[in-house]
Amino acid sequence: MSGDTNGGALVAYTADANKAVVYPLRHGVKPPISRLAISWSRGNTLRVSVMRNPSASGDSGDEDGGKVVEVKLGNGDGEISDVQWRRIAYGSVSPFALLQSRRNSVSSLSKMSFNSSPYHVEWWEYVLEYSKDINSLLGNRQYPPCPLIEDPKAILKKIEKPTCLKAAWELMELFYADKLSQAWLPEMLVDWLADYDNLLSGTQVTVHLKLLDFQKDIVSLQVIEDHPKFWEVVSSALAVGWLEIVVKLLRLHGSYQFDQLGNREIENGLVETVAVLISKMPRMRPELEAGKLGECFKAKPDFIKAWEKWRTQITKLECSPFWVQCAHDQTREGLRNMLQIMLGNTNSLCTATCHWIELYISHFLYVRPFTVGLENMYSLAQKCIQLKPMASSHRLMGLMIGILSENIEVVLAECSKGFGPWMVTHAIELLTAGNDQADTLLHEERHNLGGISMEELHRLVYAQVLSSHALTWQIAPIYLTSCMQQGMGLLEILLYKQPVYNNQLLLKNIEICRLYELDSVSSNIMKIAGIHHWKHGKKGSGIFWLQQARDEVRLNRIAQQMFDSVGKSISDESFRQWEGLIQLLGSESKAVGGLEFLHKYRDFKKSLLQIHDGKTTEATRQAIESLISLMKNPSTPPRFWLPLLYDSLKLLNWQERPLLNASQTSLLLNKLQELSMAKLRPDFVETDLPPQALSSVRLALATNLGRSILEEQ
Amino acid sequence: MAITAVQNPTQIHRIPQSKYIDAVRWLPPLSPLSKLAVLAVFDSDAYTPSLETHSLSIPSSSQTLTLTPNSRWTPPSRISSLAATASSHPLVAASTLSGSLHVLSSGQDSMVDDNGGSVSTMEPVLSVDEVGFHVGPICGVDVIESECVSVGEDGRVNLVSFGDEGFRRVFDGNGLVGFNAVKWASPSEFVTGGYGFGLQWWDLRRPGGPVSLLKGNWSQGKTGGMVHSIDIHPSRKHTCLAGGSSGTIFAWDLRWQQQPIVLSGVGIGDAATPSFSESEVWEVQFDCYVKPSNISSSRVLPAMFGSEDGILAVVEQGEEPTELLAEPCAINSFDIDPQNPSDVICSLEWESIAIVARL
Repeated sequence: MSGDTNGGALVAYTADANKAVVYPLRHGVKPPISRLAISWSRGNTLRVSVMRNPSASGDSGDEDGGKVVEVKLGNGDGEISDVQWRRIAYGSVSPFALLQSRRNSVSSLSKMSFNSSPYHVEWWEYVLEYSKDINSLLGNRQYPPCPLIEDPKAILKKIEKPTCLKAAWELMELFYADKLSQAWLPEMLVDWLADYDNLLSGTQVTVHLKLLDFQKDIVSLQVIEDHPKFWEVVSSALAVGWLEIVVKLLRLHGSYQFDQLGNREIENGLVETVAVLISKMPRMRPELEAGKLGECFKAKPDFIKAWEKWRTQITKLECSPFWVQCAHDQTREGLRNMLQIMLGNTNSLCTATCHWIELYISHFLYVRPFTVGLENMYSLAQKCIQLKPMASSHRLMGLMIGILSENIEVVLAECSKGFGPWMVTHAIELLTAGNDQADTLLHEERHNLGGISMEELHRLVYAQVLSSHALTWQIAPIYLTSCMQQGMGLLEILLYKQPVYNNQLLLKNIEICRLYELDSVSSNIMKIAGIHHWKHGKKGSGIFWLQQARDEVRLNRIAQQMFDSVGKSISDESFRQWEGLIQLLGSESKAVGGLEFLHKYRDFKKSLLQIHDGKTTEATRQAIESLISLMKNPSTPPRFWLPLLYDSLKLLNWQERPLLNASQTSLLLNKLQELSMAKLRPDFVETDLPPQALSSVRLALATNLGRSILEEQ
Repeated sequence: MAITAVQNPTQIHRIPQSKYIDAVRWLPPLSPLSKLAVLAVFDSDAYTPSLETHSLSIPSSSQTLTLTPNSRWTPPSRISSLAATASSHPLVAASTLSGSLHVLSSGQDSMVDDNGGSVSTMEPVLSVDEVGFHVGPICGVDVIESECVSVGEDGRVNLVSFGDEGFRRVFDGNGLVGFNAVKWASPSEFVTGGYGFGLQWWDLRRPGGPVSLLKGNWSQGKTGGMVHSIDIHPSRKHTCLAGGSSGTIFAWDLRWQQQPIVLSGVGIGDAATPSFSESEVWEVQFDCYVKPSNISSSRVLPAMFGSEDGILAVVEQGEEPTELLAEPCAINSFDIDPQNPSDVICSLEWESIAIVARL
């Protein structure tokens, strides 16, 4: 699933989704190409197999018969690279997991106390903390160190361009998570636009773009106030509330220069008065960043008083007789236009701003600073859109309209369309913070979604995206396990799909099984790994994994195959190779299956090797013991009976005295009898012993029986 | 068991990378103001492995630590294990998943970079990738001045001497056994580990097979697992340290061969055995920075481990462990700077490097 998956169909795809994209293929296979096969590879890559016709040319020597190339499809979002997306994905795991565990403990607490509300009173505080953590992943605004000598003509600070993703997240945080700022929402939006207006420049003219253009001209301008653009830019910046830029620009006015101060005294007085009025603008907010202008008021009555007083001062200035004495036309008109903006003249605001959000912000600043409630804010937004219709839509504008219209489904759809599955999955936590309506909507199990909720659907989609990449699949379980209905099922599929040939990956996979107590999955994975290694000749690894999986059936089957090679290869030289494997077998007391035989067989062979001369020693006693226990043990395969007995001929024909007693000898004779019977069965395996082996063993046993009976009497 | 919080101040730098780091090792620094490390990198988007040296600026208090790439070499396949010697002209040995072994010599470029510092270089000294060297991936490699030893899942133990052509087979397990880790104890002795918690001590002067064995059945079959990493203290060659599955860390003293000293582990040894991690211990190293509380020669010296559950901590026999790092993702590899043991470099699962400086 690619990064630009449309989670819901509430917002229609734009026409450019149908545009064809051309990806050049560099396969280097010489034509003629006879076949082309295309399939999906990991993630959003396509695997293209290019094949030549094998019989096309006779001179094919070292020529490639074909090649497989992978084509990476663009993820549609040029703003954030794959590497950055992965970094965001890694970073969001901890905040997400923390919030989920808090939710679980909070809801279990509220169940215990029979509280009607499912959430703790301070739930939104947890959500806000989560939101801040996520926000910090999306990039920090890093200002370069301030130059020692500030450039008086630098009106815009050089900053790294922020991402739309961050802008969108902050917008969501502002409206849904940050309950403390609700009272100063308009002012927060002013700040938001100041930070992110440059993002909108891509699709339309913005105040930021105008300032940027003017910044280029400013160096070459001699008399700044004569330039028509100067007054346009100043009033635009004023309209969106970038007061410090406005004041800085005004102070570049020619009348401030010493040589002109004398004859432009009145003009300068007017410019300065406006600048002072601007810097004293009352703001309904708790605080301002250092360097920002305005006077803060926390309480509404205080603010209204200051606001009325400020407007009176502006009106007074407007009626002032000094305007007539101002000789410079552009300055006079420019300043009076600025006063109109400050007084909230709709026409002036409309002319000064470039798009509806800017107009909207200017309304908050100069017309309706007390706007509260989403309903009022939405109707104001609609009015602004009417006044400044959108030439082209931007994903941030779509999101903002969705938020203001209080339509959760539109917000989700805009998030999904504009910012992808990561955004939806993580933003849902913000949407549901203390919003009961959204909570119900997102957690309700839906028939048309196969019985899962919208929240689960989006998490599953995101988990799919994570699963499709070799480096992120390990974090998909965090999201899958938060899905009540289908998460565990998909998690099992994900775990089964991982390759088993790399031990490190295999162990990481099994570790995830352990964390989520998926014992049966982990044992199945170990079985798959065991068979894989076995088939690839790594017998030791194969047996190890099958033992870990306690898979007796397969171990027994493997044992049968092993015995074929054992009979031939446990000779003196190859003993050491088997030593390690038998060690391994010995390390597991259970689940060895038929392989237990190998262990005993090794012991028997070892003691046989230690018998050199005809003397009765501890070694001979041990060899006899091993032989009897092997012959008694049901796990010893019948086809080993004769070779075992044949190997021990020298024990049976012991010169000094009979080593086996009568009952032991009869047991061996019985086995020999059984073996003769088994010969008649169709599944009998012929051993590669000399033809007289059976008779010599029989003779030796008979002799031994006779001697032992005599000795026992 | 609770792990005590950091008692001594540490400074932690996390440096995100854009590629997966398979393994990491310190190299001797080229200048007093910077440090040098070699990284086995894998770009999962392009499917290309590389071996890179990076210099680290030692930051003054206000700056952030930066990693500057120096030199780069492309191996034929993804690197499975990495080792380096600590001499002034270090050798770097890298083994690959396709079963080849490469030794590079790290040196100093005569050119100076823009900042006036020296740039490190890597020159391939030898490569062994002939048929019959290893079948499948090489899992462990270790290098000393004159020789390199490699082990694999195929059960082969091979020796590559510098100056000689080809390689020498020390042992061929024919796939009946497999090895995951190897460590030199002396120029003629090394230790291997693999499936089960067993260890094998080899002496090149006594060929044919291991001269000493720690049987893998000491854990009484309660849990099975494998050894991922081995370390031997330069001043106490009779003790080797091993880490593996289920948080198991144990030491094997050749003087008391049959029973290991378990430092940590789940469900093995007696009930009093602590368990600091329940997941795979990917790497263990003796930590020369921490002063042992008891210098008796029968006590195991302090050891550091890094695990799948993201813990980097120092354990000492009979003491509470000290946690240095607790990450939300696995610590796949780490290395203690042999010249300045207060500094530890770690490679994290989430495509990043962490530097822990103990102050």
